[in-house]
Amino acid sequence: MDLGHYAPLGAEALLTAVSLLVVLVGLFTKGRSSLPGYLSLAALIVAMWMVLTAQTGTVFFYDSLRVDGFSQFFKAVFILVSLLVVIASLTRYNGRPGGDEYFALLLMATVGMMVVASAIDLVSLFIGFELASLSTYAMAGFDRTKKNLEAAMKYFLYGAASSAFMLFGFSMLYGMTGSTRIADIAGASLAAFNPAILIALIFVVVGFAFKMALVPFHMWAPDTYEGAPALVSALLAAGSKKMGFAAAFRVILIALLALKLEWYMAFAILAAVTMTIGNLVACWQNNVRRILAYSSIAQAGYISIAFVVLGVASEGMTGPNNLPLDQYALAGGLLLVLGHAIMKTGAFISTAQVASIAKNTEDPDDISNYAGLGRRAPITAFCMTIFMFALAGIPPTAGYFGKFVVFGSAIYGGLVWLAVLAILNSALSLYYYLRIISYMYLREPAGPKISESKGYVLSLLLALIATFWIGVLPDGFFNWAMQAAAALLP
Amino acid sequence: MLAAVMFSIGLYGLATQRNGVKLMMCVELMLNSANINLVAFSAYQPNVSGQVFALFSIALAAAEAGIGLAILITLYRLYGTIDLDNINALRW
Repeated sequence: MDLGHYAPLGAEALLTAVSLLVVLVGLFTKGRSSLPGYLSLAALIVAMWMVLTAQTGTVFFYDSLRVDGFSQFFKAVFILVSLLVVIASLTRYNGRPGGDEYFALLLMATVGMMVVASAIDLVSLFIGFELASLSTYAMAGFDRTKKNLEAAMKYFLYGAASSAFMLFGFSMLYGMTGSTRIADIAGASLAAFNPAILIALIFVVVGFAFKMALVPFHMWAPDTYEGAPALVSALLAAGSKKMGFAAAFRVILIALLALKLEWYMAFAILAAVTMTIGNLVACWQNNVRRILAYSSIAQAGYISIAFVVLGVASEGMTGPNNLPLDQYALAGGLLLVLGHAIMKTGAFISTAQVASIAKNTEDPDDISNYAGLGRRAPITAFCMTIFMFALAGIPPTAGYFGKFVVFGSAIYGGLVWLAVLAILNSALSLYYYLRIISYMYLREPAGPKISESKGYVLSLLLALIATFWIGVLPDGFFNWAMQAAAALLP
Repeated sequence: MLAAVMFSIGLYGLATQRNGVKLMMCVELMLNSANINLVAFSAYQPNVSGQVFALFSIALAAAEAGIGLAILITLYRLYGTIDLDNINALRW
């Protein structure tokens, strides 16, 4: 057998092997070694390099996985998020009893997300989805406090129900078209349209929407993001949610090109409602992690604008510089995914830092704990401020650039109302972001100055650099996203 | 038809039950209805990928039940109950 053929999947293989190795190391050292953390860190860095240099355009395992520009883009996002989370976790979990399991689960979750990014077959898509979900269910309850477990239970029940919806939809798609390959399903539904395919599709979209936390399927997200360990929330909000988008882009776009007119309006309403409700509810939250959860629901709404534009974009419609509109919109969605993943990870890591020094231990994420953070923990407060501005879409940050492309594509697509609504929503979101910032800089400190732990600071600074890098020099990232979009579109 | 009925019963149970174990049984019901669908449809198709899919999803459902029960057991140790109405530290 020629193993060289499988080289583009090397990153997945490496991460799987290392996650098993980490468990073994933990077993022989009774979980007290600090090796697992550094091993995972090294593996993720190597995997990142492998993903960025992998040869694209090949198909594996009987047409079930494809390595193309689109999959590599998402894989890079997932690995980046895991990398930041691992660096931040080094102080919190490494060398503690159970730390090895934490890192092993984290790597497994990453592999699951990467499989989803590559999947072009419903079977491999479902397996990747479940691998990532099952690992994160276990991680959500990792510290075994009351809040943790409640969060894990809610996340588990909603997650399991959503995979049941998804699987039911998949089974109907298979029944109608006789194939589990996404491309074949698209071909069969183009050739002979059957209303049952539409129903199957609604099931699948509901399943994905739970993962993406679109309104009205968002109920689990605030509870889970608040209750789970902060670093796990970072992984959930930035990684596992983006996995929902990766899957949705693949399935919905490829399989349902035939149904364009019938689904774009549904997605337009879903996007509009999602961003409005997310932003409105965030305004009267007092728990910072809940604010972040609702803001991430709102961001999911912005990203879904890309679906809507793809729905209306017809042959020959162009965006700026005569770029094809569908490709432009998809690239915008991908840039928002990338930017949001980095900013959200950073913001959740900041909350982890604050929670570790909180005075009000009843609710460590309450906004009162952020009072005077600018003087207590200057680096954390500064990074948090930048992430808040970036999430609100202030230039020159990653958040601004992604929003610019997506909203612009909506205007080019003739959906001015949606773009205006999205911009108004961004303005509204400034209210609660500025509220956190004003607490950090304008209030009297809630405690003495503290030394910030190295792991958190390092990953915060990395996320900060990435946020500015994308914002200041967007050209390279834009071209990358355009290539990824071109790989996905037919 | 059987599968659709099973799925609906599971969904109904998920909405009305408050007991953790019963909720998990409802989720299993929903997952297994999809399995029945897959196997039944593959009888009418020239390929067996539906049956293969069903095998994979049975394995995944088992893993899912394992994790769910593990979370429930730790929950029971901390709270002393698995009635989810009594577990409400998190509120919006």
